Amino acid sequence: MARMRKSRGESLLLRYLVLGSWALVCLLPILWFGTIALRPRTEIVTPQPIYWPTWSLDAWHLLMSDWPIALYLRNSVLAVGGSVIIDLILAIPAAYALARYDFKGREDIGFYILSTRMMAPAIVAVPIFFLFKSVGLLDSIWALMLIYAAINLSLVTWIIRSYMLDIPKELEDAARTDGAGDLRILWEIIIPACLPGIITAAVIAAIFAINEFLFTLLIASTSGAYTMSVALANFTGGSDGVIYNAIALVSFIAFVPVLILVILIQKHLSRGLTMGAVKG
Amino acid sequence: MASIRLENIVKRYGAFTGVQNMSLDIADEEFLVLLGPSGCGKTTTMRMIAGLEMPTEGNIIIGGEVVNDIDARDRDVAMVFQGYALYPNMTVYENIRFPLRMRRVPASDQDRMVRTAADMVELGAFLDRKPGALSGGQRQRAALARAVVRQPQVFLMDEPLSNLDAKLRQSMRVQIKHMQRQLRITTVYVTHDQIEAMTLADRIVIMNKGAIQQVGTPDQIYTDPANTFVAGFIGGPPMNLIEGTATGGRFTAPGVNAPCPANLSGRITLGIRPEDCTVGGGQVQGLVYGVEPTGDVTYLSVLAGTKQVEVKAARDFRSDIDVPITIGFDPARLYFFGADGQRIRGGA
Amino acid sequence: MAKATPDRLRRRSPRMRAAFPYLLLTPALLYLLAITLYPGLFAIYQSLFVVKFLNWTWTGFGNYAAILKDREFWAALGNTAIIGGISLALQTAIALTVAYFAYRDPFIRGWRILYIMPMLFMPSAVAFIWKLAFNDGRVISDLLMSLGLIERNVDWLGNIWLARLTLITADVWQWTPFLFIIFVAGLQGQDQEIEEAARLDGASWPAIFWNISLPMLRPIIVVAVTLRGIDITTMFTNVYVMTQGSPGGATETMSYFIYRQGFRMFNFGYASAASVLMLIMTIIIAQTVVRRAFHSGKA
Repeated sequence: MARMRKSRGESLLLRYLVLGSWALVCLLPILWFGTIALRPRTEIVTPQPIYWPTWSLDAWHLLMSDWPIALYLRNSVLAVGGSVIIDLILAIPAAYALARYDFKGREDIGFYILSTRMMAPAIVAVPIFFLFKSVGLLDSIWALMLIYAAINLSLVTWIIRSYMLDIPKELEDAARTDGAGDLRILWEIIIPACLPGIITAAVIAAIFAINEFLFTLLIASTSGAYTMSVALANFTGGSDGVIYNAIALVSFIAFVPVLILVILIQKHLSRGLTMGAVKG
Repeated sequence: MASIRLENIVKRYGAFTGVQNMSLDIADEEFLVLLGPSGCGKTTTMRMIAGLEMPTEGNIIIGGEVVNDIDARDRDVAMVFQGYALYPNMTVYENIRFPLRMRRVPASDQDRMVRTAADMVELGAFLDRKPGALSGGQRQRAALARAVVRQPQVFLMDEPLSNLDAKLRQSMRVQIKHMQRQLRITTVYVTHDQIEAMTLADRIVIMNKGAIQQVGTPDQIYTDPANTFVAGFIGGPPMNLIEGTATGGRFTAPGVNAPCPANLSGRITLGIRPEDCTVGGGQVQGLVYGVEPTGDVTYLSVLAGTKQVEVKAARDFRSDIDVPITIGFDPARLYFFGADGQRIRGGA
Repeated sequence: MAKATPDRLRRRSPRMRAAFPYLLLTPALLYLLAITLYPGLFAIYQSLFVVKFLNWTWTGFGNYAAILKDREFWAALGNTAIIGGISLALQTAIALTVAYFAYRDPFIRGWRILYIMPMLFMPSAVAFIWKLAFNDGRVISDLLMSLGLIERNVDWLGNIWLARLTLITADVWQWTPFLFIIFVAGLQGQDQEIEEAARLDGASWPAIFWNISLPMLRPIIVVAVTLRGIDITTMFTNVYVMTQGSPGGATETMSYFIYRQGFRMFNFGYASAASVLMLIMTIIIAQTVVRRAFHSGKA
């Protein structure tokens, strides 16, 4: 009982100093980029940066008049949504097999699926480009959909597998003695029981698909199949230079739905991002 | 409505043998309990009857038909699981209806059957709840209702009460037994709790290390154990098993001296139930190790040599520890086991 | 009561039973093989040719011989390792530090949403944020000048290390949240009783973290850093938007090298050869590091 230290005070100060500074690092660039979206082009690339601009809706008017922004949004939604549906259709049975059946080669097949996630897009960029060119799928959102689905398939499979592993085996045994067959067990018991995992996988796959850049750039070389992501990169404006205020505005338009989706699955985010290896 | 016959069942997992050469006849309408420690093969045996596992060798015959390669879904066997295994996304009503739906029972009959089953377990008022909103006992009853609703040929229950608290367990035990008598369905019940086995069973099968140790009525198992394993498993506290030496009609071990049949000699094991021991008398000389009053009876542990002897003493018995004490055995209730653990019968 | 018996008894052969999981896996595997095996084989085949538009000329291992002597290729490999390594080390350190302070904070839910935000911007948008902040808008220079750290405007693309720094900054800013979220989840998932026991044993807060929480977090750190490390080695978007490999190729990553060879210079055979080499490296890393990481991280 000689020395009883009061340890709370100083560590709290340090804690909020660290947490507060990192919050500023995260937020300030975003806020500043927000002001970019709301200023005229003349106040962006200047010899001396302007922190408090003349507010204007130039970017908004530009998007409404010159850029087919609705088309980009539609392309993004179609390609991303379609890819997620393809992924779920393929991944749920595969995840079920990996999670529940004991068969020869399970470890290796599972790892092969996982390892496709590790391949750099650039490695397959050239062959995929030639493949889609030969079947005439360049410049189509179908090609984007197929590519996005391929990129996310391993992730979706592993996330769902992880959630299926958590379902008690008894549940399936019960359904089997109750008279249900394999597919019915999957459909009526397993899928409803791991719905949070399926939703998590879908959301994370959607975010990765929205963010995909390289293939979108290669495959969608005409504006017909532009998605939001490529529209951003390609509208560096040519002779006009980069149209930053419009880019900023577009990125905020894409940011809001993603933020909402992520807040919805917040509890499952860490598990999803690690493909189920870390349970949050 | 069906008898079950196991013929030389063997179940191997790789090099490990889960069940070795097991044969058993279960009569129609019988309540049979498989009793044993965890890992003894009792659950595996039950799962093979259910069709959830395939025997490596041997035949399983239900109602006169070999069912080895018939899917679990078609065996007309209902099972109640330790964790209840209620479908979390369905209401109690949908849970109970599920087996009817799977078996294509006419929709017009389903509702009536579900309600009858639910009333039988007094869950009529909870049909709209999801399992997550039920208490442990209610979940257990919902699982029972789901099993009885389709009037299966065979009931299988895998430690159905082990997740309930002691008081609830007692009342559920009575309810299960009542229901089984009422429905007259052949029932196989797996447990590691000897009280459940004794109270529920028509016959008990005691298993250890994948093999049957003894089959018999609860009375037979209690009064006439076949070996030290059975003797040490049944009773609360179980039988005292004291290793010692028999010579010239006396059994001796450190601190123990008791009569034994004159024809016994060499290393043997003496068995005596705590309820057949009395404080005072000359068979055990030792020190009081601990006293546990429970209200209606007091459990007394006596240290004799290095061996603790358990005694059921009078309810008002009290003592400090490390006090010298003597214990007497009822000579008519002594059991003797050979070095191989098997009972030595007849004797005297 | 109506009796519920099946009309017929289904007997399933053991062979059918054994085949079922493979049937479930087949569609997914076919799809994955189509986008890994086919491109892999195609890349190997194409890498044996000099491709000029529709003109394929056999060259055997000529492309490989040329690449292994190509200083740009080795530079790209080195740049990927340098930029990725520094970036990964920084984000791991920052994420751990912030997670250490944040995970027991009562406002953790709020902090988490704030900290996640950079990750939720499209990577191309993030690249533009930093391109503007460093180069076009001169904001970073201006801020550093007002702090008195530098005297003149800095040309961030004029120096090898400054250019790399801009890429590292963008990557750290966007992806530290990835590690942060996982670390916090791991720390929150730890058994509180162990920590409480250590506190009763008289251990201080940093000592508990260093001696107990961090070692227990190790498998999770391994998995998270491995995943992040893999993604970093594929870095492309930031290079494409921010530096295009300049100055003098100092910021050209492997992915950008392949892209430039293939889609800027139209040396498809050459690009394919580079792809095959990168694929081999990926397989080696996957089979060693990643396999082990995922085994240790599995619950």
